[in-house]
Order: sequence, then C-alpha cells, then structure tokens
Amino acid sequence: MQNLYLGVDIGSVSINIVAVDEDNRLVFKLYTRNSGSPIDLVKEGLKDFKDEVDLANYEISGVGVTGSGRQLIAYVLGADTVKNEITAHARASTYYYPDAGTIFEIGGQDSKLIIVEDGIAVDFAMNTVCAAGTGSFLDHQAERLGIQIEEFGSLALEAERDVRIAGRCTVFAESDMISKQQYGFTKPEIIKGLSEALVRNYMNNLVRNRVLEGKFIFQGGVAANIGIKSAFEEEIEAEVIVPEHHDVMGAIGIAMLAKRDIKRSGEKTNFRGFDLTEEKFETISFECEDCANNCEVIKVIADGRVIAVTGDRCGKWAASLITAQNPAAADMKESSQKQEAEAEEETNLYKVDPEKEKQVMRELEELELEDEKKEEEKAAEEAEIAQKSEAADSDEKDDNVYV
Amino acid sequence: MRLSFPYMGPTIVYKKLFELLGHDVVMPPKPNKEIIDLGVKHSPEFACFPFKVITGIYLKLMEKDVDTLVTSGGHGPCRAGYYGEVHKKILRDLGYDQVEIIVIDSPRDDYRYFYEIVKKLKGSSSWLQVARTIKIVYELTKALDEVEKQVEVLRAYNENGVINRIWLDAQEEFYQIKSARDIEKTKNKYLTKLNEFKDSIPAEEDRYRIGIIGEIYVVLEQSINNQIEEKVNYFGFEVERSQYLTDWIRENAFPFTGKELEEIEKKGEEFIEIEIGGHARGNIGHAIDFKERGFDGIIHLKPFGCLPELVSQSVIDDLSEKYEIPVLTISIDEQTADANVLTRVEAFLDMIKEKDMREVM
Repeated sequence: MQNLYLGVDIGSVSINIVAVDEDNRLVFKLYTRNSGSPIDLVKEGLKDFKDEVDLANYEISGVGVTGSGRQLIAYVLGADTVKNEITAHARASTYYYPDAGTIFEIGGQDSKLIIVEDGIAVDFAMNTVCAAGTGSFLDHQAERLGIQIEEFGSLALEAERDVRIAGRCTVFAESDMISKQQYGFTKPEIIKGLSEALVRNYMNNLVRNRVLEGKFIFQGGVAANIGIKSAFEEEIEAEVIVPEHHDVMGAIGIAMLAKRDIKRSGEKTNFRGFDLTEEKFETISFECEDCANNCEVIKVIADGRVIAVTGDRCGKWAASLITAQNPAAADMKESSQKQEAEAEEETNLYKVDPEKEKQVMRELEELELEDEKKEEEKAAEEAEIAQKSEAADSDEKDDNVYV
Repeated sequence: MRLSFPYMGPTIVYKKLFELLGHDVVMPPKPNKEIIDLGVKHSPEFACFPFKVITGIYLKLMEKDVDTLVTSGGHGPCRAGYYGEVHKKILRDLGYDQVEIIVIDSPRDDYRYFYEIVKKLKGSSSWLQVARTIKIVYELTKALDEVEKQVEVLRAYNENGVINRIWLDAQEEFYQIKSARDIEKTKNKYLTKLNEFKDSIPAEEDRYRIGIIGEIYVVLEQSINNQIEEKVNYFGFEVERSQYLTDWIRENAFPFTGKELEEIEKKGEEFIEIEIGGHARGNIGHAIDFKERGFDGIIHLKPFGCLPELVSQSVIDDLSEKYEIPVLTISIDEQTADANVLTRVEAFLDMIKEKDMREVM
C-alpha cells in the first residue's frame, strides 16, 4: 500500500487535480476548464481518479486545496492543508528547480511574480489593477481574432514585422488592435504585438523596479503559449524555462505542502473519502444581525447535514457546529499579580511630560485671562456705548418734535 | 448641541467626551456596505477612501437630525485638511445647509484656533470640568487600548472567535461606564479574563510579530480594512499597530503627552526628510521602530488615492532592503475584495515562516 497525496487547485479559469506519491512522482494529473460549478467538477475529477488509479495499491494520506475557490472545496473534501496559490506555486517550482531565482506565473485571472533566494520565496507581487496581464486577456483577444487559444502562441512566431499594441486595458487593446488591422498588419503580427503588450504590462505592474535574477521559471496556464514565452525572453534577454507540468504546478505544490503538514503533525488525513462524489452539496449564506459587525455567515451543507459554518467574527455560529472545543483550559491561571505589574508598566508607557503640561496650562490660563480681559473691555465698551446712546436717546427725545 | 462624529476605532471614547461636556450625542453608524456605497456615490471620484466612508457616515447621520459634526483636521499637504470644508459643501449641495462641521486641528498648528474650538465645545462647563472630563476619557482610551493590545497577541494563539467574544464584551461594558473607578475595575476584569489564555503564548523564539502601519483611518477602523488584524492573527501571528486611539487623542488634544511618538517620528526622517502630511513620516518611523523591536514583518495599509502613503510606499522598498524586513503594501478602497487581501496576507506570512523552517522534502 502506497501513500498518495492529493492536490487540488481551484482557479478562476481551470480546476486542476493531481496526486503525488512519497517521492513526489506524479501519479495522476487532470486539467479542466472551470465552467462555474467547482464542486461538480471536483466530483467528476475524483471519479476520473478512481477509474484511472488502482485504489487497491494506493491510499489517500493527505489532501491540499489551493486557488481562489479553496475554502469551499476544502470543506467539501475535508482538506488537511488549505493555502494560497502563491505559496503553492513557489513550493512546486523550487522543488523542480532548486536554483530558481524568479518565477513568472500567469494564470487565468491573475498573474504573480515570485522572487526566490536559495530555494526560499523572499518577495512576491500579484496583479492589482485588472485582468489585462493575464490569460483571460489573451482568451478574449483570440476569440476576437477568431483563432483557437491553443494556436495563439505558435502563430505569434510567424510574425515578420513588429507592431506595438496598447495593452494597459483589455477593451482599449481591442480598439487599438482593430485599427492596426486596418494598417494591414497580419494576424500573426497582431498576435505577436498582443503577446508583447501582455509581457510589458506584467513588467510594469509586477516587476516594477525589482532586479530579476536567473533562473527564470515560467508557469501557469499561459506558459503553454510559446509566443508569450519568447516575448518574455526578449524582454529580459535570458532563457525562460517552462516546466513540464507548468499547468498544474499549483496543485503539485499544494499536494507537497499537504504531505509536509501530515508528516509534521503525524495525524491522519481528514479526507472525507470517495463517497463524497455521491453527496449533494449546497451553501447558504446570511447576514448575522446580532451586532453592528453584520458578519456574512456561510454554511456548507452536505446531504442536508451542516459540515461547516464560517465567517462569523465572534465564533458564535462556528461554535454551534463544533462542540466542546475550548482551546484554553481554565486551570492555567497565572499569578495575576505578575500580570498586574505588567499592566502597570504598560500604563506608564503613556507618561506625561510635566514641563510641557505646565506650560500648556499656563498658556491656557493666559488665553483665558486675555479673553476675560477682552470681554471686560467689551463689556465696558458696550456699557459706554449704551451710556452714550442713552444720552443720545435723551437728546433725540428732546429734539424730536413729533414725540 | 446635537452632535455626532465620524466612526473611527472604539467610538465610545468620543461619545463619552461629548456627553460629559453636556451635549446630546448621536452615535455614528459603523461603516458597512450600505454606508460605503452612499459615501462613494456622493464623493468626488478621486477623493481618498476615508473621505468617502466619512461622507457616507455623515449622510446616514443626517437622517437623525444632527446639527453639529465634530471631526479632526489634517496637517501638511495631506488632503485630510480639506475634509471639513468639502464635506460641508457636499452636505450643503444635498440640502443639509444647517449642519455645522467643527474641525479640531492639532493645537500644535494653531493654538488660538484650537482654544476657540474647545471653548465652543465646552459649552457651559467650567475649565475644571473639562480637564476632569478629558482625564476620564483619556483613562478610558488607555484602558481600551491596553485590553486590545492583549487581544491582538492572544488571538494569534487561540481561536479567533473565543478572544473576539471577550473583546466584544469588553467594549460593550466600557460603553456603560460612569466613573473613573469603573474604568479600572472593568479593565482589570477583562485583563484577568484574557490572562487565562496567557499560557497559550509560546516561547519567545517561536513568536512571530507583524507591525501594521499606514493611514490612520484604515489602520484603526476594522470595518473598512477587511479585518486585517484578525486575518493576521488567524495565521498565528501577533499584531501591533502603529496607531492606537490613545495616540490619536494625544496628538490631537494633549500637546504635552506625545513625547515618545515624536521620537519615533524622528526615525522616519531618514527616509522622508520633510513633513508631507498625514502620518507618512511617523509610519516610516514606526516601521523602523518595529524592526528594532524584533518584529518579523510589516503590513502597510494605504487607502486608494492617499498621497502621503503613496510617498511612503515608494520609500518602503529602500527601507525594506536596508533594514531587512519584509513589507507588504495593501491598497484599500471600496473595490478591495476580501479573498484578494486574504491571499496576499497568507502568502506574505507563509513567506516569513518558511524562511525559518525550511526542510528537505
């Protein structure tokens, strides 16, 4: 019986499932397009897995989930490790290329840059602005040009001339592309221009002023596109390596991380078993109105049974599911005196500068005195005016013949 | 005066202050999606995010017949200095022309003006009463901050919900406080409660600490910064912010208490030589201070469209390199998606931890 570790990457455009063994060999690999119902696709994927892999020889010992849809699928599968895609990608490529320096990762709806030193990620960046530097951008333009995205890369290599296309925004790129077509540029040239626009965008948004060091690894779904690869090579003037399993690197990484976590904790996997392919899942979300926080609470339900509640800040709803799990025992009381002494110390952090305080009080007093004086003066003035006007009034009265 | 103020941090403090001065205080609503949408709709598109949130809060308050709004000003070229005037104009354009906006500027900038404002707000209370009120409010803020600092440490090693419960209860109880003696009592009660969890804190070398710096509003107000502190705590990292309410009060009301803050700000002069407004220089100072105190990383929060923080973001690259401390900058506005923030924060924290525990697989 061999141990297998499942890695599932729920991306915005694709869903990838892999299984690795103890030696990180790939036993199963699946890349499917995410059509919008991740739970069903994962279920299908697991069915494929059952058909392809002889379960008599293997046992699932750990499950990891990554990608933007990781939380929900983690509950559905009973995952041991749930981690972001940056960590997962870095883990996989540093395993295959321990001497990697820079990892370019371009997926369906996001692009990442990971800087690696001595096999450890030390810096990263992720696209912040929009999808113009990602796979969706290419998808969209390919559709516009009426060609298959799979042919996109090889077509770019046929270009004879260079054309610059504005690539800051998907929509503006489209209008620029149409006008360049009018100038008589061919499809391959336009495609090459688009590839360069994407890379330029990537360089401006993610790399910014970073100094990139080799080796350069290029992974993610877009890495299949040799047009982009060569545009990258042209931009950084160095060789770019596309790993064999570039499209499922995230899934491989998370499988490895799941293996590590299981090994470290020594616990058994929480995997809910292959029966889950027969279960029916649904999620309910509602806004809790018990306090001003208005948390969005999400319930995951499998065959009518609630398997997860999440999203509440006070833990009230989550606690309704997990019972008798009190993280800290009450008998661990430290001597409170010591604590009080510390509290005392902390209070002293906010000490007052007596000199300054005195000065301010003095100034305040002066201001007040000044004010009082002014008011007095004003009052005196007013009194004077009143007196005068009274006098004037009486004068007037005397003079006024109509009274 | 029937007055209110923007929602920032534990608002109870301002409520107490104005109540004790004898005003009719309306509690501002906590920023939520509805308020943010309202604010975004009625603010200039390129205004900074805190401005939009505050617009939303003001508009919501208009439904409650508030006649005076008290807010703080800014100094230097930061646009916060215009907030009061622009808000006044927006409110007037929408037909709320009876509302008065009182802007409390730091006494350090203009003594006379500050004095006038305080005089206006103090109403019929005597100076002695004012001094006493401020003392109570200050003690209250200190107590709240003290409890919160514990929460930010303990939440890293315990279930978020459990510690949050205590923190929410504590805030609730601080709301009911009447006298200075109660403050001490309530504070001790909750510190003792939190103390029960103290054994969950691991040995010094296994502790990870993250400092959060950035524009004061997004740093202090959890409801608009995607609960960043709780996210960091969730992954087992302790948090400390560059700003606490006590600091804000010290800066804006007591000219004689911010001595160590001044020292920290001085450290920032290394990267930002001149005063550029907001808390840019102070933040850089805090980043260096965090590093000196052995923190493992910095998260820098910047509202979209914030000028001072944009400047500090650009010097942070150099700071990060020179002081060897990783920094993650997150831009915050109404478009910020929670999942995005979570991914970045998690990847950032993973990166810090991986450095320490890399093993051969």
